[in-house]
Amino acid sequence: MNRKLMSLTLAIALAVTMLMGVSAVAEAKPFEGVTITFWGGQAELNPGTLAVIEAAEEALGLHVETEINPGGSEGDNLLKTRIASNDLPDLMVYNSGSKLYDLNPSRCFLDIKDWDLVSRVDDAFLSSVTIDGAVYGLPQSSTQAGAIIYYKPDYEELGLEVPHTWAEFVDNCAKLKEAGKTPIELTAGDTWTTQVLFLGDYYNINAEYPTFAEEYTEGKAKYADIPVATRSWTKYEDLVDYLNADKSAATVQDGNFAIGTGEATHWFILTQQLPLITAEADDQSQIGVFGVPGDDPDNHGLTVWEPMSFYVWKDSQNIDAVKAFLDFYFSEEMLNLYFETYGANGPSCIKGYTLPETVCDAVRVDMQQYFDAGKTCPALEYVSPIKGTACEQLTTAVAMGQMSGADAAKDYDEDCKKSAVQLGYNWE
Amino acid sequence: MTKTKEKSLYSVWFVVPSLAIFLIFFLWPVISSLYYSMTVWNFETATFNGLENYKLFFTDPAMSSSVPHTLLYAFATSGLKVVLAFFIAIFLTSSIKTKGFIRSAVFFPNLVSTMAVGLTFAYMMHPTKGLLNVAIQGLGGKPVDFLGDPKVALWGIILSDVWKGLSISVVIYIAGIQSIDQSYYEAASIDGANWWQQITNVTLPLVAPAQNSIIILSLIGGLRTFDLIWAMTGGGPGFATDVLASVIYKQYAAGFYGLSTAGNVVMLILISIIAFPLQHFLNKREEAIR
Amino acid sequence: MEGKKRRNQIIGDIVGLILTAVIFLIPFYFMFVQSIKSKKEANRLSIAWPTELHFENYLEVIKHGNYQLVTAFKNSAILTVFTVLGLIVTGAMAGYVIQRRKGKLMTTIQSVIMLGLMIPASILPTIRMLQSMGIYKTMFSMVMIEIALQTPFTIMLYRGFMSSIPVDLEEAASIDGCNRWQIFQKVIFPLLKPIQATIIILVGVQTFNDFTNPLYFLPGAANTTVQLTLYNYKGQLGNNYNLLFADIIIITVPMLILFLFFNKRIVAGMVAGAVKG
Repeated sequence: MNRKLMSLTLAIALAVTMLMGVSAVAEAKPFEGVTITFWGGQAELNPGTLAVIEAAEEALGLHVETEINPGGSEGDNLLKTRIASNDLPDLMVYNSGSKLYDLNPSRCFLDIKDWDLVSRVDDAFLSSVTIDGAVYGLPQSSTQAGAIIYYKPDYEELGLEVPHTWAEFVDNCAKLKEAGKTPIELTAGDTWTTQVLFLGDYYNINAEYPTFAEEYTEGKAKYADIPVATRSWTKYEDLVDYLNADKSAATVQDGNFAIGTGEATHWFILTQQLPLITAEADDQSQIGVFGVPGDDPDNHGLTVWEPMSFYVWKDSQNIDAVKAFLDFYFSEEMLNLYFETYGANGPSCIKGYTLPETVCDAVRVDMQQYFDAGKTCPALEYVSPIKGTACEQLTTAVAMGQMSGADAAKDYDEDCKKSAVQLGYNWE
Repeated sequence: MTKTKEKSLYSVWFVVPSLAIFLIFFLWPVISSLYYSMTVWNFETATFNGLENYKLFFTDPAMSSSVPHTLLYAFATSGLKVVLAFFIAIFLTSSIKTKGFIRSAVFFPNLVSTMAVGLTFAYMMHPTKGLLNVAIQGLGGKPVDFLGDPKVALWGIILSDVWKGLSISVVIYIAGIQSIDQSYYEAASIDGANWWQQITNVTLPLVAPAQNSIIILSLIGGLRTFDLIWAMTGGGPGFATDVLASVIYKQYAAGFYGLSTAGNVVMLILISIIAFPLQHFLNKREEAIR
Repeated sequence: MEGKKRRNQIIGDIVGLILTAVIFLIPFYFMFVQSIKSKKEANRLSIAWPTELHFENYLEVIKHGNYQLVTAFKNSAILTVFTVLGLIVTGAMAGYVIQRRKGKLMTTIQSVIMLGLMIPASILPTIRMLQSMGIYKTMFSMVMIEIALQTPFTIMLYRGFMSSIPVDLEEAASIDGCNRWQIFQKVIFPLLKPIQATIIILVGVQTFNDFTNPLYFLPGAANTTVQLTLYNYKGQLGNNYNLLFADIIIITVPMLILFLFFNKRIVAGMVAGAVKG
C-alpha cells in the first residue's frame, strides 16, 4: 500500500516536472526539433565555430548538422554540381569576392539585404558579397591578409629591422642565410600557398598603377606588359636561394610548425594561419606580420582578404531558424567565444566590435597599424572577377625555379583570357 | 550448334537488364555530353561555339602538355606491370612454401583506397623526412625529391601505381599459368630444356591470352588515370604531372564545363586510337602463336 | 639433384619473403605506426615505433562528428552489397548469353558495352538525367550508377569464364525439359561459383573504395561514405596524420576481411576467366 502510494506520488511528481520542463523549453527554445544543415570546410568547422554551434543548440534548441566540404577544387566542383542540381544545405560557407561572382549567386543564395545584421558589417566586406544590389553573405570570421609572417626572435638575434622595400627584404634573407638560418619557408606541398606572394603583392601594383584592376578586367592591362605587375612574378626568382630543403613537399602544417618554432624565419602566407602558428610557438608575441614590400619605403602596405562568408540557400525550408542561428552567432558574447576559442586572422569586420585581448599581437598590433594608417588594399579577387585557373601551378613553377617569372607572367595572361571568355568578356 | 537451337536456348532477354542499366546510367549521359563539348556551358545556358574548345585545348600549353604525360604514364605503368607481374607469377606458381602468404601480401595494396595509397606514398617520398630518402641517405646516396623534381615526379607516381595495381596482373597471370597443361612442360623437359628455356618456350607463349588481357586493362587504366595523381601531386609541381584526366577535372572545377567535356572527348579519341589497333594486333599475335 | 632443388627452394622462400616484406609490408607498417602516435610525433612521418602508444586515436576517429564514421560505414556497406548483388545477377546473365550466342547482334552489344572500359563517365549530364527521373540523391540511383560503371569489366570476366563450361550441359538440361530460365538458374549459375568469388572481391573493393562517384551522385551529410571521412583529417589548414591513418586503417579492415574470406578462390575464378578472350 505504502509502496503504491509512493510510486503514485513519484509518478505525479515526474509528470509535473516533465510538463514544466516542456513548457519551459517551449518558451526558451523556439526552434526545438528543427535541424539545419551546415556545410563548411575543415577550416570553417574549427573549434571556435563548433563551440558557437554547441552554444546555439543549447540556447535555441535547434540542431546543426554539419557536413564537411573537401575544399580546394574538389570542393568547388562539388559546390557547382550541387548548385546546378539546386540541392544545397540550409547554411554554408564559401569565399566572398570573385569566386562568389563565379557562382552567379542570385540563382542559389538568399538576398539578405533587409536583415538587421547587415548594418553591423563594414562596407569593405559588404562590397565583396554584394552583386547587383543584392547582399548575400555575412562574415564567418575576421579579415585576413596575404602577407609575410615571421619569427621575431630571429630578427632580434641578428638585429634586423622590418623591411620596407623588397631590396631590404632580400637583404635580410641574405643575412639570415649567412647566420645559418632558413630565411624562407615555401610550402608547395599545398600548392595554393605558393600564390600568396603574387596575390599579396597587389598592394604594390595598385599603389603604382591604380587603374590596373579595371584595365585588367577589360583585357587591356597585362601582367607581362606592365613592369610593376611583372615584378609580382619575378620576385619569386629572388627567393630561390633562400628556401627550405623540403619546399616541394612541405604542407601548411609544416609551415605552421616551421614559423612557430623558428625553423624558418619568413613565410608568405594568408594570416588565417596565425592561430595555428601561435599555437606552435612558445609565446604568441614571437610571431609577427608585415606586408609584401614594394619599392617605395614610404608606402609599405597590406593586401587584405575579406573573410569567408555564410550564405543561406534561397530554397531552404528553415530560413527562420538559420536567421536565428546567425543572429545568435553575431552576438557580442558569441563573437568573443569564437575568437577566444579559435583566435583571429586579422581585424574584425563587424562595426564597433573589438577583438578580445586573447587574440595575438600579430593581429592586434602588427596588422592593425596598417588598417589604422589606411595602408590597406583589397586583393585583386575583390575588385575583378577574373582569375586565371592555373595561377597556383604557375606560381609553384616559378617558385621552384622551373620557369622564369617573365614567362609565367605571359602564360598567366593567356590563362586569364580563358577565364574571361568563359565569363563572357570580349578580350580580342 | 544450329542457329535455331542457339536462339531457343539463349534468350536475348538475358542481356536486357545489364544493357538497359548500362545504356541509361552510363552511355546516354556520355552521348549527350558530346553536344556540350561544343559549347560554352555554365549549366543555365549552353552557347554553341563549334570546335573552339578543342582549339583552346590544344593551344594552351598547360593542357596540351598533358597528352605526352598521359602516354608516358600509361605505357610505363602497363609495361612495368606486364613484366614484373610475370616474374612474380612464375615465382608464385613454383613449388615454394610461402607462396600463399606472399600472394596475399602482393594483393593487400589492392584493398586500400587509392587516396590512402597516394597519401602514404607521398609521405614516404617526402624529400627530407620520407622513408625512402632516409634509406637512400643511410646508404650514402643523395636525397631525391621524388614528387617535387619535375623530371622525376611522374615516375614517383608511376612506381606507386605499379605497387598498387600489380596484384590484379599477378592474379591474371597465375590463372593463365595454372591453366597450362603440364604435358607441355614434360615434353620440353624430355627435349632437354632448362628452367629458363621452359619459361620462354612454353610459359610465355601459352600465357599470351592472359598477357593480352593485362596489357589492355592496364593500358586503358593508365590512360584514364586520375585518383592517384590527384592524391599525390594534384598535377604539380607546376604542370609536370598533369595528365588528361586531371586537366579535365581542373577545367571542370573552374566551371569551364564545355571545355572540360571537350577534354573528355579528346581522351576518348586518344584511347580509341590506341586501344582498338592494339587489341587487333594482340589478337593476331595470339592466333599466330596458336 | 634433389638436394640442390631443395636448397634453391629454400633460397627462393627466403628471398621472396624479404622482398615481400620490404616492398609490400613496410607501407602497411608505416600506416599503422602513424595511427598510434601523438599528433606531433606523427607529423615527423618516421617509421620509428612511437614513444607513447595512442590507441585512443581510433576511438576518437570513430566518435568524430557524432559517430559520422558509423553512418558512413552503413552507407558504404549498403552501396557495396547491392552493387555486388546486382552485378552478379545481371552480369552473369548477360555474360552467359553473350558468350553462347554468335551473330551480329551479340557482337554489337558486346562492343557497345566494352566502350564502358574506355570512356570516362560524364558527371553533369548524369545528374541532369537523374533529376529528370526524380531519383537524384537516392541510394537506388547510386547503386545503378556503380553497376553501370562496372558492368563492362564484370561481363568480360563472366564471358571468359563461360567459355570453360561445356555446352553439352545445357543441351542435356534442355532435353530433360528445362526452359531457358531454369537452365541458367539450375545448371549454369551454380557452376559460376569460382568466378563469383573473384567478382565479389574485385567489385566489392572497387565500390567500397570509390570516392569520386558518391561525392557527386550521393551528396549530403546523411549519405556520407567512408572515403569522404578522410577529409576530416586532411585540409587547407593542415593534417592530423595520426587520425588520418587511424581512419585509413579502420576503413581498410572490412576489405581485408572480405579478402581473407575469398582469398583462395580469387585465382580459381580467373583461371579461364580473363584468360580466354
